[in-house]
Amino acid sequence: MDGVDLDRILSSEEPLSPSSGFAAGVMDAVRTASEQPPPLPFPWARFLPGVAACVIWAIAGVAVMQGIENDDALAIIAGRLAAVAPELGSVAVVLALCLMPIYGPRLTPRD
Amino acid sequence: MLAGDTAAFSAIVERWQGRLINLAWRFCRDRSMAEDMAQDAFVKAFKALATFRGEALFSTWLTALSLNCFRTSLRSRGPVTVNLDLWRPAGLEPSALTTIENRERDELVRQLVATLPPRYRDPMVLFYFQEMSVAETARVLGLPDGTLKARLSRARDLVGRRYAARMSDRKGSA
Repeated sequence: MDGVDLDRILSSEEPLSPSSGFAAGVMDAVRTASEQPPPLPFPWARFLPGVAACVIWAIAGVAVMQGIENDDALAIIAGRLAAVAPELGSVAVVLALCLMPIYGPRLTPRD
Repeated sequence: MLAGDTAAFSAIVERWQGRLINLAWRFCRDRSMAEDMAQDAFVKAFKALATFRGEALFSTWLTALSLNCFRTSLRSRGPVTVNLDLWRPAGLEPSALTTIENRERDELVRQLVATLPPRYRDPMVLFYFQEMSVAETARVLGLPDGTLKARLSRARDLVGRRYAARMSDRKGSA
């Protein structure tokens, strides 16, 4: 079989006719698809503050650990933590303020 | 323009149903499966209609979208197998036998195309489907013309070799 035969065979196929109910079946499927609600978008508004909070807490943790890494007495860790507690508290307050516009409406009662 | 308009979309289905079924048929060689694949492609086209910007011909856009849909269906349904029924009724006239043998040969070649790896199968099917030009086939596949021609050439070689191997097996088993 040469290229000419191949061209002839592949170009000469008899076309299929659609089944009688094909178009109606397609339109039923299309209507069903159009009635489905659109897919939920990814919740970036919740995801990004969460990631930001994790990063801030990680940085704060590293800062705390760096402050105590040269000390060999675990007993002073509590004292160190106490010293940075106001900073951590400030971070927590800032985070809470950032998240409030997002989560606040969920906490208020609906009528 | 027609996004979300099911009534208007029915005109598209009426207009393009034959083309999509026949295109799907050339990929799977199974009528029922071809209609299922074409239906999936229409539903996908309906959902994606808003993304059609008119930069390409509607036929090019619909064919490219359908091709993606068919590839996904074919991947999930497993490989197409070559399956020819070699049974022949007894007492056939020589001319009738020749006709049957020619039809079997043609069908074997078409099935061999459907079983090629996708990178060779897709150009081959599209190029011969309604005699699309090299440029149009390349546009649908998103390939440069030269790459498409190379793949078509390689695909023809593969089909020719597989056909020869098949014939050799058949003679060996006869």
